[in-house]
Amino acid sequence: MLWLAFRMLFQERGRLVITLIGIVFSTVLTLVEIGIYLGMMGNATSVVRHTDADIWIVSQNVPNFDFTQPFPANRINRVRSLDEVQWAEKIHVWFAFLKLADGRREQAQVIGFNPDTGIGGPWSMALGKPYDVKGGSYIIMDESSRQRLGKLEPGTMWELNLFREQSFKLVGLSREALSFTTIPVVFTSYNEVDRSLMGTDFEGQTSFIVVKLKDTSTVDEVARKLRAVLPDNDVYTKQGFIDRTVNYWTIQTGMGMAFFLTAILAVLIGGAIVGQTIYAGTIEHLRDYGTLKAMGAKNGDINLVILTQAAVSAVLGFALGVVITIASRHGIVSAGVSMQLPLLLFAAVFAIVVATCLSAAYISVRKVKMLDPVMVFRE
Amino acid sequence: MDKAILETRAVSKIYGEGAGRVAALEAATVSLSQDEVLLIMGPSGSGKTTLLSIMGCILSPTSGEVLVHGRNISAYRELELANIRRRYFGFVFQAFNLFRSLTAQENVEVVLRMKGRSKQKVHAEAENLMERVGLARRAHAYPRDLSGGEKQRTAIARALAGDPPIILADEPTANLDSRTGRDILQLLRSHAKDLHKAVAIVSHDPKVEEVAHRVILLEDGRLQS
Repeated sequence: MLWLAFRMLFQERGRLVITLIGIVFSTVLTLVEIGIYLGMMGNATSVVRHTDADIWIVSQNVPNFDFTQPFPANRINRVRSLDEVQWAEKIHVWFAFLKLADGRREQAQVIGFNPDTGIGGPWSMALGKPYDVKGGSYIIMDESSRQRLGKLEPGTMWELNLFREQSFKLVGLSREALSFTTIPVVFTSYNEVDRSLMGTDFEGQTSFIVVKLKDTSTVDEVARKLRAVLPDNDVYTKQGFIDRTVNYWTIQTGMGMAFFLTAILAVLIGGAIVGQTIYAGTIEHLRDYGTLKAMGAKNGDINLVILTQAAVSAVLGFALGVVITIASRHGIVSAGVSMQLPLLLFAAVFAIVVATCLSAAYISVRKVKMLDPVMVFRE
Repeated sequence: MDKAILETRAVSKIYGEGAGRVAALEAATVSLSQDEVLLIMGPSGSGKTTLLSIMGCILSPTSGEVLVHGRNISAYRELELANIRRRYFGFVFQAFNLFRSLTAQENVEVVLRMKGRSKQKVHAEAENLMERVGLARRAHAYPRDLSGGEKQRTAIARALAGDPPIILADEPTANLDSRTGRDILQLLRSHAKDLHKAVAIVSHDPKVEEVAHRVILLEDGRLQS
């Protein structure tokens, strides 16, 4: 009966094309939507994920890495006083303005880190080393910023306004350091940011304290202790801070819902198209199925024909959808939109597409189950 | 031609209840033997197709018994009836009922595959049947490219596929011209004889009488002869 399913499916090319359009549309839209969502979440959590720390200490109610609220940096001493702590480092995150060669200004996210340890600094370098920002007004910019900032030539000087205008020399280029807000990320030394804050209300303040433990299995216990000694701060485990960030962007802002709603609509519309074409095909073949039943085919045999057609359509449509998505990925990323397409996403969307197609075919299966083979004698 | 291969004993088919009760068939007792061509005649609405559906185990009677090869199948469930149909029956339909996505030969192959023939045998057996009905040259044509006579020959080859002992034909000449209809009837009769089949034909075409060994007449759901 599989043979019959294949013959019926590929003989009626018009219907197959319409079915495939529905599935391809559904697959591409779902993959792109969720891929962009994952890309944005990846950006939002990139520094946290790539920093080798077990605990993140932030100001109260700071919802993510981008929206920081400074707090006294000397609280790091309370952190270091705990026996379980291997090391603790401070990280600055501020928004500043970069002056471009043509006089325009672009907002930038400035991350100040300790170049001696590299904690909180760039994790992948296209040019130079994180350590290169030590001892002066040096910056590392991410190569993804070219689209907004133009040429990024090492050795060139950049005007960065963080409370005061100051010239910085570009000494390196990082890779994959993108912010959620898509504004350019600029790395410099923690001390350089500290100097910029001198004389302002934020002097002696920091954005984050990150902590590495001697024994990571004690992370929950140490986090509890830190909450006790730092009542004015929020203390997160690394995963906890990632979850908090994702939760903020996904649920609190409603952005995640918008993405998922589009993805769900894509699946539903694709499913409706597939269901409709398969059902129309079933109605058109009702006499064939009745004839098969009259000749001794069981309902299961005919169901196999219908479900095989739905499953084969799902696999073909999904494969085409994947090819289109991968082919368009470069264009999407070039336009400055982050997109992540992990294998798990493909597996999940494949399962959804197959399940949707089989569910859509179920209406046809029900129709055939109720089919009275006596109808074959009617002209 | 003595031993009945298919029997209906006082089968009735009643639709509806009370004032809306319609008896499509009443107490029809019919037998069909090997090598026999039985013609069931009657005007439209006389219950011919209902009787044929019951004989073919497609429709369950309201009362009475149906025996296939001596086995009473009246209480069988749908799945068991499907097995009986697959094993014992070949059908020829008035509207041919060929699968338009399949070639003429593939229409025969689909039944052989359904009957569990091995892949190796399916092709050879279908080819042989196409030759038997005189369609070897048109074996790879699709139904849309076949004439009415060729379609019905294909349908006969399909009915013969898997060597079922009983062939039931519903108005096999209704959509054919007179000459083609005669050819088809001769084909049915010769196969009944050569292959020792039992053939029941429902028709109101008088030509069919020429090939039938026995004729029964239905009127208002009742057997007249």
